[in-house]
Amino acid sequence: MTYENPRIPEGINVARESVPAEFLRLLAGLLLVVVVAALVLHLAGGWLARQVPFALERSWVGERLLVPPGIGTDAADAQAQERVQALARELAAGMGLPQGMTVDVHLVREEVPNAFATLGGHVLVTDGLYRRLPSENALAMVLAHELAHIRARDPIAAAGGGAALTLLMLALGGDAEALAPQLARLVQLGYSRQAEARADEAAIAALLGHYGHAGGAAGLFEALADYDGAGRELPALLATHPADAARIARLQQAARGWDATRQPLVALPAL
Amino acid sequence: MEVTNLESIPGKTIVRHLGLVQGSTVRAKHAGRDILAGLKNIVGGELKAYTELLVESRKEAVARMVQQAEAVGANAVVNVRFSTSNIASGAAEVMAYGTAVVIG
Amino acid sequence: MEAMLQLLVFAALLLAGLLFGRAAERRHYRDIVAREEALGDILVFSERRIPDFAAPPRTTLVVGSVVIAEDYFKRIAASLKSLVGGRLTAYESLMDRGRREAVLRMKEEARGLGADMVFNVRFETASMNDSAGGRQAMFSAEFIAYGTALIPSRAP
Repeated sequence: MTYENPRIPEGINVARESVPAEFLRLLAGLLLVVVVAALVLHLAGGWLARQVPFALERSWVGERLLVPPGIGTDAADAQAQERVQALARELAAGMGLPQGMTVDVHLVREEVPNAFATLGGHVLVTDGLYRRLPSENALAMVLAHELAHIRARDPIAAAGGGAALTLLMLALGGDAEALAPQLARLVQLGYSRQAEARADEAAIAALLGHYGHAGGAAGLFEALADYDGAGRELPALLATHPADAARIARLQQAARGWDATRQPLVALPAL
Repeated sequence: MEVTNLESIPGKTIVRHLGLVQGSTVRAKHAGRDILAGLKNIVGGELKAYTELLVESRKEAVARMVQQAEAVGANAVVNVRFSTSNIASGAAEVMAYGTAVVIG
Repeated sequence: MEAMLQLLVFAALLLAGLLFGRAAERRHYRDIVAREEALGDILVFSERRIPDFAAPPRTTLVVGSVVIAEDYFKRIAASLKSLVGGRLTAYESLMDRGRREAVLRMKEEARGLGADMVFNVRFETASMNDSAGGRQAMFSAEFIAYGTALIPSRAP
């Protein structure tokens, strides 16, 4: 009867497989799943949100202007506000908004040029933007674009999609939390470009209906091209309203065949 | 390979004592089962997914212990014990250890 | 962008864990193998029955314990793997190292007392998860190996 302790070989309880290789594989898989899930949820959330009747959305929001932080909401010149609202009404009449969908356009005192549609049928235009518009046609383009967003229920769809994505991020929890929001944000940006393109098309159609031509539609972007104020202000607008060359080209294409002398642009009264 | 938690195999004598051998494994159930188990916690009852997890782990741990015993030339493992510990949520480590012997 | 910064910090920690963690682990393993070689003459068994001696040996409890933490990279790799389930190879080396280290320390204590055999060796493992605000920032485990050391008594 002997007592001994022979040496036990390595590698039985510890795998030889490389941990980084497995990690990279899993990471790639996780990223793929997150991107697909983000896309699906965003679409689902958007679709569900659009089922909410506009009347309900309107009654929830009331008269509040739900805007991102940092944007002023004080009303600007009352007369100008009236004119802008009147133009918006004329455009809306020609755009076939559904029964009961009322849109309020607010001209607010804010230096940073911006314009967007938010929940409850409210459209916000800053006087910083108004001052840079070269013609009434350019203003009509902006208004028609935002009206198209309201008509398509884009604001509530974006809210619904955002909520769905937040749920996904919560469900993932753990360490995936650090990675998922970045990808989700990328998905969101891509999707809203589609909505922007659709709104552009609808706006051009509205312009054609109202003025008989789409001249001056690209006026806003041409004016902003000269704007080189503090660099940080412009990106805020461009983040959700991309002024990429393709978009400007589309707008200028729509104005093909327009003769400036026979169909002059309408002047925009100064504030 | 005989595996027992007795001191020795009945009717046989131990010729050589070859020392401690151990097998251990760390396993996790996938996230889906984890969430289901969490829901099961509300209702109560056996968490089948975790039972399965630990059964698989135990089998693997014993297999590795036997592998070590074979590597040192034993034909039996006596005085086997188990040790389980919880690693993070949903993952468990199971260890089996015993003394490798040669029985004659 | 704050989120970008968070991601960069995360990636930097991962890299640090990967590089320094692997180096530390390799160093520890080399150390373990060397000490196992040196302490190879101290025999350990999980049996309770001790051999017959002409003179009954003195017995005493010997314990070896250690707490080891896993590096950040392996921590993240393991949590990723636990989403799909299966073997967590990232933690296997931690467990192996920890236990072998505990046994070595137990042997060292036995050697210090003049023993050359340890019987009825048992293990205990306790995992200590350091949760920082709900998210597990660290994973560490405590390993104990204990047994009864037989100290040969001098011939009367």
